[in-house]
This record gives sequence, C-alpha cells and structure tokens, in this order.
Amino acid sequence: MTTIEIAMLLSGVLILLVVIGVRVAFATAAIGITGMFLFYTMDKGMDPMRALTVTLKLSGQIPHSKTASHVLGLIPVFILIGYLAYFAGLTKAIFEAANRWVGWLPGGMGVATVFATAGFAAVSGASVATSAVFARIAIPEMLQLGYDKRFAAGVVAAGGTLASLIPPSAILVIYAIITESSVGKLLMAGFLPGAVSAVIYAVMIMGMAKRNPKLGPPVTGYSWGERFASLPPAMPIFFVVAIIMYCIYGGWGTPTEAGALGAFVVLCMAIYKGMRWKDLSGALIESAKLTAMIFTMIWGVLIFVRYLGFADLPNTFAAFITSLHQPAIVTLLIILGVYVVLGMFMDAIGMLILTLPVTYPAVIALNGGIDVTREASALGMSGEECGVWFGIIVVKMAELCLITPPIGLNCFVVAGVRPDISAQDVFRGASPFFIADVVTVAVLIAFPGIVLWLPSFL
Amino acid sequence: MSSAHNVREDGTWLSRADRALFYIETKLTLLGGLAIMAAMLISVANILGRKLFNIPVPGYVAIMQQIVPVMAFMGISFCQRLGGHIRMDLVAGKLKGRQLWLTEVIGILVMLILSLALLYGATDHAMRAYRLGDTTDDLGLHTWPVKTVVPVMFCFLIARLLLQLWGYLRALRSGEEFPVAVPMIEDAATQALNEAKTVSSRDEEMSQ
Repeated sequence: MTTIEIAMLLSGVLILLVVIGVRVAFATAAIGITGMFLFYTMDKGMDPMRALTVTLKLSGQIPHSKTASHVLGLIPVFILIGYLAYFAGLTKAIFEAANRWVGWLPGGMGVATVFATAGFAAVSGASVATSAVFARIAIPEMLQLGYDKRFAAGVVAAGGTLASLIPPSAILVIYAIITESSVGKLLMAGFLPGAVSAVIYAVMIMGMAKRNPKLGPPVTGYSWGERFASLPPAMPIFFVVAIIMYCIYGGWGTPTEAGALGAFVVLCMAIYKGMRWKDLSGALIESAKLTAMIFTMIWGVLIFVRYLGFADLPNTFAAFITSLHQPAIVTLLIILGVYVVLGMFMDAIGMLILTLPVTYPAVIALNGGIDVTREASALGMSGEECGVWFGIIVVKMAELCLITPPIGLNCFVVAGVRPDISAQDVFRGASPFFIADVVTVAVLIAFPGIVLWLPSFL
Repeated sequence: MSSAHNVREDGTWLSRADRALFYIETKLTLLGGLAIMAAMLISVANILGRKLFNIPVPGYVAIMQQIVPVMAFMGISFCQRLGGHIRMDLVAGKLKGRQLWLTEVIGILVMLILSLALLYGATDHAMRAYRLGDTTDDLGLHTWPVKTVVPVMFCFLIARLLLQLWGYLRALRSGEEFPVAVPMIEDAATQALNEAKTVSSRDEEMSQ
C-alpha cells in the first residue's frame, strides 16, 4: 500500500470511530499515532520497537509544546468573559436599551432582541448561552405584547448565533490557531459580517411584520428622555467592545491583552453587582472545563495533523481540488455544502477542528496558493486575505447549523427555557433565519470586502 | 457534540471511588480556573504597566507560556467524568442496553490505550527538560514543572477511564439500564435544557 492509500484507510477508520461515538479528540490522536507508527515502519523501514519509541516520544511532546503558547491564552479568557457576563447584569440592560431605541419599528421587539443579542455577543462568545438568556428575558415580553409564539422563539434562537462572529469569539481564535492565521485580523474581520447578519435579520423581521402585522406589533410611547436614560446601564458593553477594538486596532496591546482587559472590566462589573465567591468559583470551574475540552481537541487534532503532514494528504487533496474542471466558486460551494450536512450532526467546534486541516489548504490552493496576489487569484483576494475570509465563512456556516434540525442546539435551548413552545415550533420559527443566513453567506462570498475591509487597516 | 452530565451514584465501591476521584478532579479544575484568572490579571498588569508607567511585567510571554498548559490540562479528567469531551452520539444515542455498553467499552479502550501512550511520551518530554535543565528564554524559569503537569493529568485521566471501564463492563455483564459512575448519553433537547437551567438559575439569583 502507498502512503496515501494508508492515509485514506486510516481516515476511514477515524470516521468509523467518530461515528460510533469515540470522543473526537482522542479518536484523531489515536489515528495520528497509528499513522505515524505505520509511516516509520513501512516508509522509513524502521524496526517496529524503534518506530514505536520514536512515535510515542514525538506525539507525547505535542500536548505540551502546542499548548504552551501565549496566543492560546486568549481562548480561556474569552470563555471566562462569557461566564462572567451573566453576573454583570448586562443582559437586561442591553435588551431594555435596544427596545426603547428600535422598538417602534415593525416587529420592533424582535428587532430589539436581535440587536440586544448582537450587543451581548460582544461580551459573550457563546451562542447557546446567549439564546438561553434571551429566551428568559425577551420571549415573555414579546408574548405579552401579542407576538406570535413561533416567531418570538425563532428570533431568539437565531439571535444567539450572532455570538460566534462578533468579537470576542473563541471559535475564531481556534480557527486562527489551526490555520496559523492572524488572530487580530480574524477578530476584526468578524465584526462587520456579524453586524451585517444582525441587519439582515432585522430587515427580515421588519419585512415579515409589515406583511403580517399579527406576527409582532411595534412598541411605541418612549420619549427621547427615556431612550437616553436606558443607555448608561448598557454602557459597559460598549466599553468592553471599545477596549477590545482599540487594543487590537490601535496596536495598544496584543489580542490576549485586549481580551484580558475586557474580561477584567466584566469581572469588576460582576463584583460590583454582588457576585459571590460561590458564583465566581462556579464560573472558573465551568471555564476550565470548557478550556480543557477545547484544548484537548486542539492537541488531539494537531497529533493527527502531524501525521497528515508525513503522509502529504492535505497537499494531495488540495491538488485534487485544483485539478477539478469547474469554476473555483463551484468547488467552494460544494465544500460549504458539506459543512451544512456535517453541521447537522456535529458540534460546531468539533466540526471545524476536524475538517480544517484538510479543507483550509484546499481552499487556499483553490484560490492560487498562500503567496498569490489579488490579481492572479481565482477568488479575487490574496492568499492571506483568503485565509481570513474563509475563516469567517466557515464560522458563519457553523452558526447556521445551530438552528437546523436535528441537533440545532439554540432551538432546543429556547424550547428548554419555554416548555410551552415545542422544539418543532422553534425550528419552524427559526427557518426564515436559516434563509437569511444563506443570504448573508452569499453576500459575504459576493462581496469579500465586507470581511476584509477592517483587517486591511491592521 | 458534548453530552451527558448525569452520573448515577449509589453505595457501591465503584460509586465511592467515582465520587472520591470527582472531588479531587473538581479541586484540580478550580485550580485551572484560577490559572485562567491569574493569566487575565497578569495580562492586565502587563498592558496597563507598559502603557501607563512604561513598566511591563518582566518575562510576560514566558509566564503566559507556563500558565496556558496548566489551564489546558487541569480540567481534562473532570471533563471526561461529566462526558464533556466532544463526541458524535448520533449512533450511540440510538443504541440501548448491552449494544450501547459494548460501544462505550470500545470507546473507553481507545482512549485508555492512547492516554497510556501519551503518558509515556509526555513523561519523557518532562524528564528530558529536567535532565537538561531546560529554562525559558526570558526569566530563566525551569520548564519541567509545567511539563510535568501534562503526565500528572494524564494519570488522573487514566484513573477516570479505568473507573468508567469498570462501570461499563459491569453494565455489559448485568445488562442494567442506568449503570453507576458513567455519564449517560443525553439527547440534544436534554443537554439544551440543562444548559438553559444553569443560566436561568444564575440570572434569577442575580435579579434577587
């Protein structure tokens, strides 16, 4: 068997292990180690004992050496911000402010919910948790105003997905680590697409409410004084956004320092609001647990990536992709289609970490390579720009899967908080937002400048 | 996708061992959380010190490189106890009884063999740093203590996997539906409900 044939066979075994339920990080690492051992014995002709020793020593370094990175420190800090944000009392403040300012629009409270979730996303990178919080805050208010139950639930489930793109976003940092892209550029790149997604959601809600006013009546009667009075309690959110943006954008500090400063402000807010040691220790334990889960995925996949490098599988796949006799955009759409299917069955982080080692080099090759200029490229952007742009597109795809059956977690969260609304109803309510997300992805593909404009200043 | 955290407990030796290990795992995970907070505070001190007083934290990057692996590994066994490591349970979620326990035994065996293999490699990595007196560039900090965290946490993970293997093998033999000391698979709806409950209870406490 050739090296590539063995790699394909082992990839098949990996898929089998993942399908039968072996934890993804451990399945990938196990296959990576097996592959390295086979490479040393079959390709390099080492005797099995020596090959085993070399393989174990090599792979045993990876969990430490690949995690001992200053940049990776950003992931736990972003996770911690998300947990502390609940204790800082920011959710109700941002919803109230959004409601007073945009509630007068058709479907106004739905629009307010979308902007409030987008605002909250700026201090919490967790989509599912954002939906859970706003299901408690926004849905009762909407139902009280006579909003359609299904519509209200769909708005909250979809609004939660905005958290993955708007900085601070842990998933974008993970993308940057796996693909060795610039963390700062990716975080900046997520801002406008996140805002565009929110605007597209808002326009769609207004259109639906205008067409069928029973879905959601506007909220009127707030004076300008009341509107301005709602802003100070929500200011910490804008403060955190400003800190993170200014630090990265203005070169004041590294993304890790920016994230830490944001987390520190949220921590001070939470303590001011009366957070106790029990709450803080709970948040620290949850953050450390999620951190361990994400880092285990990272080093597990990096052991597999080391093997893939030996077997040259990413380059072979990239060569296959570029040899296809079809426009680059068609191939890209097929890859994105695969993500939609995968996302129906896999967690977003797991899906990205598992696929990126193969899809990222393929997409870069499809565009003409990492050193290609904008003029010579197939997709109209330089190699580095393509890496940043693809990151935003795949994260948006991962978001989209949070509202698709059968495992769209955001929809289940809303149904969990509101037992009077069935999961089927939430999925139906969220279905127009799926279409809005497809439109957003199409817009980001057609106009990559939306993604690349802000990072171009860095 | 990440799954269950409902672990049944009773008075058996297996369950007692599970609870004792879980107690230690929880404390270790809290240490990991405190490491996250320490990293945050050091980063804040570094940026403010540098910009306001022109005094950055000495060896900031080296300190962060020492802290990140601690954050990354302290919760690894705790996460496994709660069934938190990402898996795809589409097939396993459909299985029942002995078929399910057999699948779980296979999964745990793969993890156990891998963890033993990595324990060997990670110990060698730490021992080499100790023998060579490896230090960081900036402050000259010894790297072996942090490198040792990795094999130590693999030891806890191996202990956890052995307990879970014991639990699944017992279930495989008896065919029981809710075995002790192992995380049960939950469907997406139940996971979501649990997540929502966590946030809801916090929110209620804060609004009081």
